[in-house]
Amino acid sequence: QEVTLRVHQMLPAQATIPAKAIEPWVKRVEEASGGRIKFELYPAMQLGGAPANLYDQARDGVVDLIWTVLGYTPGRFPKAEVFEMPFLVTTGEATSVAFQRFVEENAMDEFEGVKLIAVHAHGPGLFHSIDPITSLEDLRGMKIRGGSRVINDMLTRLGAEPVGMPVTGVPEALSKGVITGTTIPWEVTPSLRVAELVKNHTGFSGEQGLYTQTFAFTMNLDAYNNLPDDLKAIIDANSGVETARAFGQAMDGGDQAGLKIAQDAGNSIVTLDEAETARWKEVAQATIDNWVSQMDASGVDGRALYDRAVALVAEETAR
Amino acid sequence: MSNVAIGLTSFPILLGLIFLRVPIGLAMLLVGIGGSYMITGSLNPMLAQFKSLTHATFSNYSFSIIPLFLLMGQFAALGGLSAALFKAAADWLGHRRGGVAMAAIGACAGFGAICGSSLATAATMGQVALPELRKHGYSGRLSTGTLVAGGTLGILIPPSVILVIYAILTEQNIAKLFMAAFVPGILAAIGYLITIAIYVRFRPEDAGRLPRVPYRERFASLINIWPVLLVFFLVVGGIYFGWFTPTEAAAIGAAGTGIIAIANRGLNWANFKQALLSTASSTAMIFLIVLGAAALNSFLALSQLPQASAEFVTSQGLNPWLVLSIILLFYLVFGCVMDSLSMILLTVPIVFPIVTAMDFGLPPEEFALWFGILILIVVEVGLITPPVGMNLFIINSMARDVPMSQTYLGVLPFVASDLLRVVILAAFPVITLFLVRLLY
Amino acid sequence: MDNTMPGRLVGGLARWVAIAGGVILIVITATTVISIIGRGLIFAGLKPIPGDYELVEAGVFFAVFSFMPWCQYVRGHADVNIVTNFMSRRANAFIDIMANLLMLGAAVFLAWRHWLGMLDKQRYMETTFILRIPLWWIYASGMVGAITFIIVSAYCVARATHEFRHPEARPQMMGASH
Ligand code: NA
Ligand code: NA
Repeated sequence: QEVTLRVHQMLPAQATIPAKAIEPWVKRVEEASGGRIKFELYPAMQLGGAPANLYDQARDGVVDLIWTVLGYTPGRFPKAEVFEMPFLVTTGEATSVAFQRFVEENAMDEFEGVKLIAVHAHGPGLFHSIDPITSLEDLRGMKIRGGSRVINDMLTRLGAEPVGMPVTGVPEALSKGVITGTTIPWEVTPSLRVAELVKNHTGFSGEQGLYTQTFAFTMNLDAYNNLPDDLKAIIDANSGVETARAFGQAMDGGDQAGLKIAQDAGNSIVTLDEAETARWKEVAQATIDNWVSQMDASGVDGRALYDRAVALVAEETAR
Repeated sequence: MSNVAIGLTSFPILLGLIFLRVPIGLAMLLVGIGGSYMITGSLNPMLAQFKSLTHATFSNYSFSIIPLFLLMGQFAALGGLSAALFKAAADWLGHRRGGVAMAAIGACAGFGAICGSSLATAATMGQVALPELRKHGYSGRLSTGTLVAGGTLGILIPPSVILVIYAILTEQNIAKLFMAAFVPGILAAIGYLITIAIYVRFRPEDAGRLPRVPYRERFASLINIWPVLLVFFLVVGGIYFGWFTPTEAAAIGAAGTGIIAIANRGLNWANFKQALLSTASSTAMIFLIVLGAAALNSFLALSQLPQASAEFVTSQGLNPWLVLSIILLFYLVFGCVMDSLSMILLTVPIVFPIVTAMDFGLPPEEFALWFGILILIVVEVGLITPPVGMNLFIINSMARDVPMSQTYLGVLPFVASDLLRVVILAAFPVITLFLVRLLY
Repeated sequence: MDNTMPGRLVGGLARWVAIAGGVILIVITATTVISIIGRGLIFAGLKPIPGDYELVEAGVFFAVFSFMPWCQYVRGHADVNIVTNFMSRRANAFIDIMANLLMLGAAVFLAWRHWLGMLDKQRYMETTFILRIPLWWIYASGMVGAITFIIVSAYCVARATHEFRHPEARPQMMGASH
């Protein structure tokens, strides 16, 4: 054995990505290296700091690899943020591959100073609420938890009262009525017991889901550069589009499991029809326009980036 | 040296620094940085870590509850709530033998319900009750002993800063922990009252009596403590019913006691400044320890010592109850020389994985609540066991004419009642858990 | 030595920085209460204050950093004197110098690293979640406490040295009452 690499992230070891994506990835690399690379996994922020510090922890060499939510450092990844736009996401797999390709094409400058293993997204996020949501009017005044600044902006425009809180705070807040609903993908609902806390789930017609959040799995650049060439090649072979696909697939698998639990619990799972979905898209469009104009103001062609993101997702979804 | 060995070696070094009177938080910081260097072979990880760790620690939303609870305690004292509590308790209990001491315990319990800190409760009630006790013929030994012990009710009765920190470290629900602490906290107060009753039977010369107060006056003074009940209900009830987060509840408590202080004309610029400065020094003391513990715990995680020790203890097939007893004993012994907050921050990340891996016949969450309450009590016993204990020092420094040895003697019966309570709560987890089971 | 000119200057500085932190703490308290009321009365058309959590985090961050120098000035940091009580007065005075030197080192270290962290946040234009306050502003507010902490810690080394030379100046009862 030659090198030990430390992997740090914020979720408990049994959550979807740590268990179903990072661990398999680690095993693949360890095997490919013939045991010359060994990983130490540190879940749940064991090595200290706040989740928002993770990205810099890999960049600065506090640890060797990290997995993080890009939305935890608002403003840091302005171009990559386009994948958080409403009604862009299809499946976790297709969106993740599209996102990886998008970043490689347009936003590698935002990941300067780290070795980017892969970026990815989660599957369609949707509403889980105490009272049913069958129309745009039902959402008005509801206290809904959102996970990033784009999502909170969208919730405001849709008429909800967004409450920003980490995903781990959702069960307690729901059970106490601090919030009356939350946006999350199916994937996290089992560990948060959301299907026990609320009886209503609302998704949308068509290929696209309401929103997604974006993630990055990155490595410290020195740790990468210090590897001998053959080990570097192994890391390279486990980076990029196919790794993004594996992480996206893990998310899709988690979504299926979460959906099944809600179905078995006999919950009401509503898919808004096309006419109603169109109304939501129309209102949410303002979030997209707002993002585009902010990008334009900073000298980047926001419209072109958004169109490219949509095209890539469509291309990967059709595959 | 293996990483685990480096982790183990760090403990004698840390204790050495602490016993050489290096401030505890600073010692943790130094050992954390040094240990991380030993393991990674480079200072770079810690240098990089500290670019954001100070901000991450000081701005942590969960920890922001601490200065707010401290501020609440300061305002409660300025608003005369501590004095009103003592007056009410003395009107009801003062005419009994040992009654003024019992009243002091009752007032401490009431103050504990609106104050999150043991030291603040000891200091506040000491100011109010100590002169009264001495005036009515109570010996220095009984007076100081009573108040030293009564101060711990500030922590034992929720809200409680120590429980907040335990909840954060072990990812437990603060509201449920507060619920679980409630009955043991009341038992503590009752235990102290019984202790005083027994004490004055053997040494009647240590206590005087007040004249009996007519019931009309008793009820009048009882009505005067309604703000305490209101604030307690808002803070603890608000957390339980989910009206607000614990931090928000602390803000409500601070604002509420602040408004009461203004209404009772207890607040002027001079003592307002004093309240801020007291909050400042207590807060800074706690956060330096929290920051040091962050560095130390990051190093301990790197050393893999917590996992290794958990695996070791479980692989020995020891009786869980024996392990629990050893751990509680360890806390008691160390509590005699260290402060409770540092002990919690230092040891819970190591001890908790060990005990959660064992079977005490409780579901994981209930176990975590019950264990938290047991730990809370033993570290608080540390605050009052001679020779070292912050409560001992604070109360003794207020009673200039009482030698330390008298305070030591006076507190011993209360320590005995604490130990008895630990045994009872350890043997019957249901006492701690039934309120949580009932309400959730 | 606290009664000398430098002692009073440093003490005054520490005191006022701590009071500034305390006032911010009061502001945070008020903000939180107003926000809770707004949240409770959504049905009546009121709203919680947007970004209330991040305001609390920013305010408490400034407050805690501002409290550090005051705690050091009043010898308020928790320590254990069970062993040192058996040592001579001179040995204790010497320990004071060493402990205060270590604290000065820590103060410089924290300020230096925090400063670099601030430059990072400035370079990457990170903001807070809701209100999009540039994170480096919040980091910068911590420099007030960080630099005062260095000044006070340096003074405390001088104070400990003075007390080593003049043992009668060393207070008997150490530690502030919290
Ligand atoms: Na309390
Ligand atoms: Na003690």
